[in-house]
Amino acid sequence: MTPEQITLVQSSFDRLGPQLPAMATRFYQELFARDPALRPLFTTPMAEQKVRFAEKLTEIVRAMPRLDELLIHTRALGARHAGYGVRAADYQTLGGALLAALAAELGDSFDAPTREAWALAYNLVAETMLEGAAAARPIGS
Amino acid sequence: MLADVAVTLQQWPIIGRRPEIEVFERALGSGELAGLVIHGRAGTGKTRLADEYRQQAAAAGHPTERVAGSRTTALVPLAAVVALLAGGLGRPGPDGQVDTVALFEQTRQALHQHHRGRRLVTVADDASLLDAASLALIGYLAAQGTIFLIATVRTGEPVPDLVTSLWRDGRLERVDIGDLSRAHLDTLLHLVLGGPMEAGAGREFWEVTRGNPLYVRELVLGGLESGALVDRSGVWHLEGRLPSTTRLLDLVEQRIGLLSAQARSVVELLALCEPLELGYLETAAPAGVLESLERAGLVTITVADQEVRLAHPLHGRVVRAAMPRSRARAILLAQAQRLEDGHPVPGPAALQIATWRLDAGGRPDPAVLIRGAHLARHAHDFRLVRRLIEAVPGEQLDAVGALLLGEALYELGVFDAADQILAHGQQQPSSAHVALRLAVTRAKNAQWGLCQPEAALAINATARTVITSSPLAEELVADEASVLTFSGQPGRALAVLERITGGDRRTRVVRAIAGAPALAMTGRTAEAVRVAEAGYADHVALGDELAIAHPAMHIVNQVFALSEAGRLAEAEQLAQAGAEIAASDRVPIAQIFFAVNLGRVATLQGRVATARRYYAEAAGLAQASHFDGPRRIALSGLALAHAMLADADAATQALAERATGPAFGFRGPEQQLGDAWTAMASRRPAQAAQQLRDAAAQAATTGHRTVESWLLHDLMRIGAQDTSARLRELADACDSPLVSARARHSAAARARSARDLTGAADDFEALGALLLAAEAAAGAAEAFSRDGDQRAATAALRRSSALAAACEGAVTPGLFRAATAVPLSGREREIVMLAAQGLTSKDIAERLYLSVRTVNNHLQHAYTKLGVNGRAGLAQALGSTA
Repeated sequence: MTPEQITLVQSSFDRLGPQLPAMATRFYQELFARDPALRPLFTTPMAEQKVRFAEKLTEIVRAMPRLDELLIHTRALGARHAGYGVRAADYQTLGGALLAALAAELGDSFDAPTREAWALAYNLVAETMLEGAAAARPIGS
Repeated sequence: MLADVAVTLQQWPIIGRRPEIEVFERALGSGELAGLVIHGRAGTGKTRLADEYRQQAAAAGHPTERVAGSRTTALVPLAAVVALLAGGLGRPGPDGQVDTVALFEQTRQALHQHHRGRRLVTVADDASLLDAASLALIGYLAAQGTIFLIATVRTGEPVPDLVTSLWRDGRLERVDIGDLSRAHLDTLLHLVLGGPMEAGAGREFWEVTRGNPLYVRELVLGGLESGALVDRSGVWHLEGRLPSTTRLLDLVEQRIGLLSAQARSVVELLALCEPLELGYLETAAPAGVLESLERAGLVTITVADQEVRLAHPLHGRVVRAAMPRSRARAILLAQAQRLEDGHPVPGPAALQIATWRLDAGGRPDPAVLIRGAHLARHAHDFRLVRRLIEAVPGEQLDAVGALLLGEALYELGVFDAADQILAHGQQQPSSAHVALRLAVTRAKNAQWGLCQPEAALAINATARTVITSSPLAEELVADEASVLTFSGQPGRALAVLERITGGDRRTRVVRAIAGAPALAMTGRTAEAVRVAEAGYADHVALGDELAIAHPAMHIVNQVFALSEAGRLAEAEQLAQAGAEIAASDRVPIAQIFFAVNLGRVATLQGRVATARRYYAEAAGLAQASHFDGPRRIALSGLALAHAMLADADAATQALAERATGPAFGFRGPEQQLGDAWTAMASRRPAQAAQQLRDAAAQAATTGHRTVESWLLHDLMRIGAQDTSARLRELADACDSPLVSARARHSAAARARSARDLTGAADDFEALGALLLAAEAAAGAAEAFSRDGDQRAATAALRRSSALAAACEGAVTPGLFRAATAVPLSGREREIVMLAAQGLTSKDIAERLYLSVRTVNNHLQHAYTKLGVNGRAGLAQALGSTA
């Protein structure tokens, strides 16, 4: 990513402000619409799940400029998700749902450069989460 | 960061291959499958993926082994698989021969026993190169379930029988891997280098490697080693070209080495002269050769424009490096001749012809070289311009050639040589037009490159005595104004521009470049925006001309004018769009100024961490392209941003770095904001106040009204002095709501009027200047409290902390108004403010470079002084919503 893209991710996220819970709601709607089979993977009550999602996303976006700090968050998060049976293909679905939710809440300001910046940021997050997941879940176990 | 990179490189991350890893997990987990084969082209990371499989299997407790085929082991039966022969090499039978069936069975039993029945996960890398006996053994063991096979096979190489037979039986999973997508390449680079990369460098990596992981790896290593890839303030930049490495050469050479002589000569031809017309190649190469190259993935044919080129840019580099000089020369000369015969009229082909002749070591016609240089300039390829013109013998270099070379040297940051060659050009006979452009370019070089505005004015004055006809004379006057604007004298610049009455489109373009910033600085912001817009339109209509700035500079000016007009969001948006253009056209000076202006807008918005990032980027870009003056502006901004984040050491460091360069008058008074706020952060408020006063006085004499207002407002913000009278005058003289808001704020502060301070906070918030809005709201809270309206005071405090929360950790005296009655130390205030924003002690410790214990000690003292019990009480005492 370029420094400008990192800034773009952070500034567009900041713009969400009080809309963050709405974005979280939208994210899960988009996610389950894309793949209803994912729903049973979420055992936490949805209201709590959304709060957790918003918190995690905030942490990750804040850490975006500092890779060391980002990796601590994403690897741990990936390791936790490995336990829920989330697979590489699901990360694609998650990414699509996240971009769609951001687009819905940010409206016109979610322009092409912002989308691209988020897509790259998500890719970085997803790859390092998968890395954390792999470390936590030896195969055959 | 270099040391970190070196550590990271030992374990190159595996990116974009997780689905393939899951395929392996499933395959190993199922009892049915005997193994898995990885197919892919060279450099796609087959071996890396196979080793990843092996590591994962080992982590899960499987025994593992690795064998590899090679051209040497292929000569000795079973040499490659010695590691598997747990049961020995077999005993010769009565006939003196080893019974292979018995040997295989012995091996199976020995492995079974040794690994207690667990399957041995075995990587067979480059399986196509294994000898027949080794393949047979591996096939036997896999079929018996003694080993789980992971074979790699390079696309295009024969697939061993063992693989096909297991495959046919449905006992082998197949994984095909290709190059990385652009997003995955981006992620890979980010992880390997440990941080973000400048846009131009990212694009170069993509263009050169097209996502081939091996190429990426080799080029990163090569770039770090050669110093082409450098970390500037946490952002990776590419300075110069990516080098190739020996390993890369071997790899590509292997691939090219297997071609027939006919196919190879087509590849060589393309390596030197691509792209070539399909029609020409079809007649030049024997039938079928082109198709076979296309099938092998070495060339691509674009149907739309009927052109043929090499599929991978690196192939061209490698082939060129390996080609004998004489052969390359013959090909280049023949192609130059062919093109010249076919295109007798000078056109784009002139550039091709000249470069091919040069590459061939020949002496192209100087006229063709200069024509070629014009075309290269049009494509902003200044390195090529330099190369072409430097090939013209010195005595034949005319004024036009000198102009082209001088401009290229300036763009490449070789300022002394640029001055010399331009001076040489001025001594050659030339038309008035060329003489003008030589003078203008030389003045620009003196101004921006050598940082000598007096020399630039002298060059301009001399030229004006010689060139007196319209519209050239007018253009020289506009250029004089440009030197004045960009050396920090907007008032004089505007007076000079008044002298121009006529002139043509080109004159208007130069006028706009000089006029827009000068107008903005003197407070005529609406006019400045209009002039910049019109200048851009004129510039585009003018087309490509020598000795004139890039059109993006009008956008830079417009961004500046918008920010002076207080239209911060628009300025930010336009600057981001402009930065993209500047990066793709590779115009360093515009890239630097977009980054500087983005930093400046972020500062005005109160997004101080963002400002810090942009200024650091601008400083890195300026250093890379040798622009010392603009670098000075960027480092001043960087110091300002660090200081507002209360990082006095980093701010001092930025100023020390700045001191190594020459003085630079452009935005001179504004540069001193960096000094003043650094003094504030270093707890030298008297010095800060003096610096602001001096800078404001300087701004007043040079006509920098908007910046004078910034400086005087800051003088009030640090609590040093009431400046409301002069701020009012400035607001009346300027058309900027930002300047007006500053005046309103200072008048309200002087009158201690809670209502007016609230109004000032409204004004600032509407402009998006959130830090100033937070400070005004804090001031309002204080005033309400003094008036005895505690409810309103609490509400204003809430508002202030909500606004401050958007300021990315800014720490300014104006934010502490709420706690003025409480005798907190500077450090305690800083920490209390951060804690009130909801930061944990750990976050605060990191931000301020303190230990967590020190932070907690300070907090305890602050709690005692404020009479609260803890963090929650603190928030209440400060009226925070946190």
